[in-house]
Amino acid sequence: MGSTSLRHRKDMIAWRVFSYVFMAVFTFLAVAPLLWLTYSSLKPHPAIVRNIFAFPTEFYFTNYIVAWQRGQLGMLISNSIFYSVMATAITVVLALMAGYGLAKFGYRLSALVYTFFIMGLLVTAHSVLVPLFVMQTRIGLADTRLGVIIPYVGFGLPFMIYLATSYIRGIPDALEESARIDGASYLQTFWYVIRPIAAPVVATMTIFAFLANWNEFVFVFVLTSRQSLRSLPVGVNAFAGGMSRDYGLLFAALVIATIPMILFYLFFHEQLKRGFAAGAIKE
Amino acid sequence: MNSLAEKRFAYTILVGPAVVVYASVILFPILFSFTLGFTRWSGFGTPEWIGIQNYTRMLADPAFRIGLRNNMLIVGVSVFGQIPFGFLLAYIIYRKMVGAHSFFETVIFLPITVSAIVVAKLWNQIFSPAGVITQLMRIVRDDPRYVFAVFENRDLAIFPILGVIFWYYTGIYMVIFLANLHKISPDVIEASIMDGAKEHQILFRVILPQMTNIVFTTAVFAIAGSLKSFDLIFAMTGGGPARYTEVIAIYMYFNTFRYYNYGYGSAVSMMIVVLSLGLITMLLGVSRRFERRYS
Repeated sequence: MGSTSLRHRKDMIAWRVFSYVFMAVFTFLAVAPLLWLTYSSLKPHPAIVRNIFAFPTEFYFTNYIVAWQRGQLGMLISNSIFYSVMATAITVVLALMAGYGLAKFGYRLSALVYTFFIMGLLVTAHSVLVPLFVMQTRIGLADTRLGVIIPYVGFGLPFMIYLATSYIRGIPDALEESARIDGASYLQTFWYVIRPIAAPVVATMTIFAFLANWNEFVFVFVLTSRQSLRSLPVGVNAFAGGMSRDYGLLFAALVIATIPMILFYLFFHEQLKRGFAAGAIKE
Repeated sequence: MNSLAEKRFAYTILVGPAVVVYASVILFPILFSFTLGFTRWSGFGTPEWIGIQNYTRMLADPAFRIGLRNNMLIVGVSVFGQIPFGFLLAYIIYRKMVGAHSFFETVIFLPITVSAIVVAKLWNQIFSPAGVITQLMRIVRDDPRYVFAVFENRDLAIFPILGVIFWYYTGIYMVIFLANLHKISPDVIEASIMDGAKEHQILFRVILPQMTNIVFTTAVFAIAGSLKSFDLIFAMTGGGPARYTEVIAIYMYFNTFRYYNYGYGSAVSMMIVVLSLGLITMLLGVSRRFERRYS
């Protein structure tokens, strides 16, 4: 037995060497572009052009001040916060409610409704853009905040319902039944029993939905035309299109657009990873 | 109110709102889109019924074929690049082959939190003729006049985009695989080490067979996700040069919102749905055959 574990240990050394190299390369690739972006954003445009790799000799914060004003980044950020918070709150509440109904009511209809939501995971936003745009233009929802939030919610629902339903299915029936015996209605049971027990999945759902909504691009891009309704990704895209001559300004705008999510990630990475791990969704 | 009626009422209140929003944003528009796909319509007046002309025109359009090719390349990068590399990263962390694994995990996952637009603009500068790659190659090749102009080359322009897609999304796969690896009991690995299994045997004979299901599920979502790619490419090249980096979603966007062919755009949208369902069905077929061979 000693010789087997010795043989295994030798084998492990090769793996470890390979692993360190592999991980180091990946880590470098993941971080280097972002670090380069960040320190370059503190250099004036001519300095970036002169030597693209050099660290800034002094911190040139003017980029940030000018980018903030010209890109109207304050307005974009508050729009993005508004869309993300509203859409996330509505999506999570609706999904949790539906999740309870689908997981615990035992109706045969539930299986059909659930499948119908899960199919939505495969639908791309682009396959509904044309009709959505036409419909919204007809009923006057196009170019309004509500017109942006509704599709955010609709496209968030399939995955959120998947998360909520599978979590609520795992809650023992006995808990709910005892509440029912005590005379609670189904809606009261939802509010006083299911909602508190589901708190962990609500946290995962909220954080995951918020990230997805914050980075959403195409709905605001297509369904709105007023500049005052733009979200951060749409605004930064437009700003970058006009500012390609000044790298310093562009980089500052990109960093400003990235910082909120990096902070968000540092605080909530466990929940985020749980959300990603539960399903494999990407845009 | 009796209890059965109360239950039905509660069910309607709980499930109803989600169904209404979902139906109005996804289900109804898809049906609408399906119908519109058989018409010629510029957004005004009455749509004119033209049968399957939109589809025949699409299949004959070289620009559509380029979009299709690019989409397939993205599917290829996802399935044969992101999934194996994501798996390997997860496996290294799971087997604790490196120290500070939570540091590596956190950092490699980081890019996914950045918005696709920022990623696109950042890599655009890196790949631009005056960008990082040009400067790097000038040093490496010791040629101060070298210019990296990949986005001016029609056939090669898609490759940097594929690289960025790989860079952007591989972390997701790592996290998915890691979460599922942690469900495997450590005893299984201990036992095979006792039996004298080498590390690569543990990977290929013990771990991978238990993960085939997850790999296939992940591949389904990778395919669906690949056909959705729009934001990143739209913000990087806008489909250029000369439409050579277009994907089908961008092709759809231009036809609809730039040339006002709503009917045609709808037909292209339906094509995306059909392709995604087709590829996924194919994949499920492969997975079934694969499972049979394993069992």
